[in-house]
Amino acid sequence: MKKQHLIYLIAGIVLTVLFYVMRVNAYEAVYAVSGFSDQLYNLGLYETIPLITIAVAWAMAGIYYYAINSVRFDRWYHWLVMLALVVLIAPIAGYAINSHVFDENGLSYATESLTFEMVNMMWAAVLFVVASFSMRWWSTNCRHTPIPQ
Amino acid sequence: MKRNKVFITLLLSMALITVTSALWSCSSSPLEKAIKQALVQQDTTQARFDSICSIIKAYPERYKDYLTDDGQIDIAALASLIEEQGASLRPPMHWNVTQYGLQQLSLTIYFERSGSMVPYDAPGGRGQLKKAVNDLINHFPSGNVAINIVNDGIYPYQGSIDQFLQDRNIYASTQGVGNASFTDFQKIFNDILAAQRPGNVSVLVTDLIYSPADTRDVSVEKIFNEENSLATRIFKQYKGKSIIVHQLMGDYQGKYYPYNNQPFNYTGQRPFYLLVIADTPVMDAMAAGADYAQFMQPAALRNSYRFNQAEAAVDYCVIPDWKDNAGRFRVDHHDAARLTRCEGDKTTGIMCFTIAVNLSSMHKSAQFLADAANYQLHSTSGFTMKVVPVDQSMITGNNRSYLDGKTHLITLTGKLTEPRDEITISLANDFPAWIEQSTAQSDVNPGAPDFATTTLGLKEFLTGIASAFGSGGNYTTIKLHLER
Repeated sequence: MKKQHLIYLIAGIVLTVLFYVMRVNAYEAVYAVSGFSDQLYNLGLYETIPLITIAVAWAMAGIYYYAINSVRFDRWYHWLVMLALVVLIAPIAGYAINSHVFDENGLSYATESLTFEMVNMMWAAVLFVVASFSMRWWSTNCRHTPIPQ
Repeated sequence: MKRNKVFITLLLSMALITVTSALWSCSSSPLEKAIKQALVQQDTTQARFDSICSIIKAYPERYKDYLTDDGQIDIAALASLIEEQGASLRPPMHWNVTQYGLQQLSLTIYFERSGSMVPYDAPGGRGQLKKAVNDLINHFPSGNVAINIVNDGIYPYQGSIDQFLQDRNIYASTQGVGNASFTDFQKIFNDILAAQRPGNVSVLVTDLIYSPADTRDVSVEKIFNEENSLATRIFKQYKGKSIIVHQLMGDYQGKYYPYNNQPFNYTGQRPFYLLVIADTPVMDAMAAGADYAQFMQPAALRNSYRFNQAEAAVDYCVIPDWKDNAGRFRVDHHDAARLTRCEGDKTTGIMCFTIAVNLSSMHKSAQFLADAANYQLHSTSGFTMKVVPVDQSMITGNNRSYLDGKTHLITLTGKLTEPRDEITISLANDFPAWIEQSTAQSDVNPGAPDFATTTLGLKEFLTGIASAFGSGGNYTTIKLHLER
């Protein structure tokens, strides 16, 4: 195990934890609307949605590098397929939870929720890149994806 | 080998999810979560409060900070936690739970039985006075009520509460109790105040006409001065008390005893008063408690004023999306009173925003609270304000968290001419005009146009109480900071 690779892994974990700690600022720096953002905050959705996004990004990276881990699926566009899946799964799951919680509380923010999930899509992509560069080094067949070492 | 990798990957993913979920769920205790949930769902009811208390009682070791030595809920400590949790929400939310510690209150009625009070309950009249007292008894939540008859002294009512409520002529049935020819205010108030124990609410039912013994050849001014000094002297000894003076009108049929001791028959309306006396924290809690709303605001109330009402903070928030909004602003996440990035409308330059405020604990009439003239507004940019009561039809799903529990909307309109502005809105605690308007300087002429609506020396007596407590100042002040 190279020391440099371990640093990548630790840096990836630190960045992910930092993202979670600073999640409200991270999301609201890009998109904040009084009313809608307050409800996300009060209803704990700024905890649930980032958590799901982190889990999806890291799990998909793990699946790609260690479960799939195939020479037939080791090109950069294969990695892009995984990225596309992440940026679809995380916002869809986030939107479903968001809608459910808002419906339960009699709130209606359909347009704002969609815009928010666009932002979530962006953070999901960033987190997948972080997770990929944290764990790719020990993959036997895909460690050169998306950029060769 | 491949299976192992799949297994390790899944295990790692699950571990990551589990650790983060665990961190998330451990971030607050069940008690804090329950409080936050109640606040977010706007379910600030007694039932919800009881369910929160049950969590504390279920884990007495864990939540011992919220229990008293005898195992009861420490309302003050819990209120402080609720305030802390509410402050972490957007906008900060408040829940006054002190009212839930009021179950043990008792009510003592002091029913004045002087000569001039008897005609208020004459068989031919509509009996508004007796109805008002019956309502007080019926609307007092604990039902722990005692009744006394007062004139030259205080005498316990001999019947039961049910007998009192059903009594069609209370003055006939209490005939012979004490000396009805004069009312010794000094003795009565001193006795009431000295007898009052923690958790007791006293109500004196009176015409508030100071009628000491032997006033022949004494000038009315002298009586007024004596009355004023007497009130100050009595109440100065009880700084921790609060007094509400309710004025109501009742039918009066019978002999009236003016200050010159030459009684005459009078048929018509006359004011009478309910003086509610309690420790200030009890009065504050009753004013905030929904259970006491009817007790604190009797039906057919004409005027009311509370003495010794300290300036209190009120719950308010800026409504981000409101129909009247003009221009742009952002409510600071950590300070609900700070609006940043304020800009006027692009075409008119006008900025308009609305705050929702809960003024129910001010214990003022709806008319008083909805009149913008009763508020003092200070703004360097010259903002103006209007006040409207919150109507249930205004509440929608999206604004519920801002409007629920709020009683009034204050809309501020103006042009932000400076980079910063501090808008101060105060509800002034001025000595009310109705007291002066309800005061008679003489009560010897029943034909006087204001005889039916005025009371001899009312102002002198009430200003005496006011000087004992040092009234004035504001009921509440709201400060908003605007920044471009």
